[in-house]
Amino acid sequence: MSLTPEELKKKLAEIRSDDAKEAAAKPNSPIDSKSASMAFRATIEMVSAVVVSVFLGYLLDQWLGSKPWFMIIMLFIGFIAGFLNVYRAATGQDLKVGLNNKSKTEQELKDEQNDEQK
Amino acid sequence: MANPLSQFEIKPIMEWQFAGMNLDFTQSSLWMGIAVITATLFMTLTVRQKAMIPGRWQNLSEMFYEFIGKMVKDNLGAEGKKYFPFVFTIFMFVLFGNLLGLIPYSFTYTSHIIVTGALALFVFFLATMVGICKHGLHFFSLFLPKGLPVFIAPLVVVIEVVSYLSRPLSLSVRLFANMVAGHTMLKVFAGFSTSMIVGMGFTTGITLGILPMLFNVALTGLEVMIAFIQAYVFAILTCIYLKDAIELH
Repeated sequence: MSLTPEELKKKLAEIRSDDAKEAAAKPNSPIDSKSASMAFRATIEMVSAVVVSVFLGYLLDQWLGSKPWFMIIMLFIGFIAGFLNVYRAATGQDLKVGLNNKSKTEQELKDEQNDEQK
Repeated sequence: MANPLSQFEIKPIMEWQFAGMNLDFTQSSLWMGIAVITATLFMTLTVRQKAMIPGRWQNLSEMFYEFIGKMVKDNLGAEGKKYFPFVFTIFMFVLFGNLLGLIPYSFTYTSHIIVTGALALFVFFLATMVGICKHGLHFFSLFLPKGLPVFIAPLVVVIEVVSYLSRPLSLSVRLFANMVAGHTMLKVFAGFSTSMIVGMGFTTGITLGILPMLFNVALTGLEVMIAFIQAYVFAILTCIYLKDAIELH
């Protein structure tokens, strides 16, 4: 099958418009895999911070013989650190330690653009 | 019905006690060895021809190479080139572990937290060492955000330290939990088929039992994707940890 350049162009344009239509018609599925994996990740971030923190508190108690005070304090600190981890993961400043260099995430850049347009 | 978790049991192939330690050669060690050998063979044999126009196999291995090469370059810059072999090795080891585990009757060593934990701790200590060697004690300023009021500094530093220490745990748990969840699900659905055949008689059982099997085919596709994604996540987080240590914002 051989096509002249004009026919080829026409065919290509057809395919491209079909693709565009398909992309436009695609409905948003109720469970998109991105938010599902984000939820999974948030769970792990939260739990791991609490586990590490409580374990540290336990070790401190063993060392200083202050049972159970450090464990209790570190439990709450673990919650805070867990929230911090989840917040960082959710805003895309992925697992960066230190707030010194807050890199701009895609969402923030988008927001900025919107502000400029307003 | 077989226990869907029995697939994760460690079985020794060759028992070996050394100085009171259990150093058995298990099926986990066997599959780690197989993964290392297949990954090495794959990377060496496919590029043996060094064709200017790569064939299918050469294209595949070059794709992996360039993918990780770009990741390292984007995250660590030109200086990060010396970390490429490390990141690439980690990526291939995790990827082959995940993929080989999908072969029936094989064993997924990445489904054990001791394996993923060892990998994550290795990455964690390496990144910390690199940071300390490069910046000395200044490295610990990582835990102190700039412009922080002095009176809440102790609290924030403790929180940051906990957050930093939780990284290897979250890194290893993510890989291990994904693998365990996927493989358990595959086994559970496969179990539906067998219990249908046992419970409903042969003819009805086979006809209806084909449905979970079809679902399993789709699940296997999903698992292949997860195998790649998790290897990618492990590699990119390795890059990010190293970046933190090298750049030290």
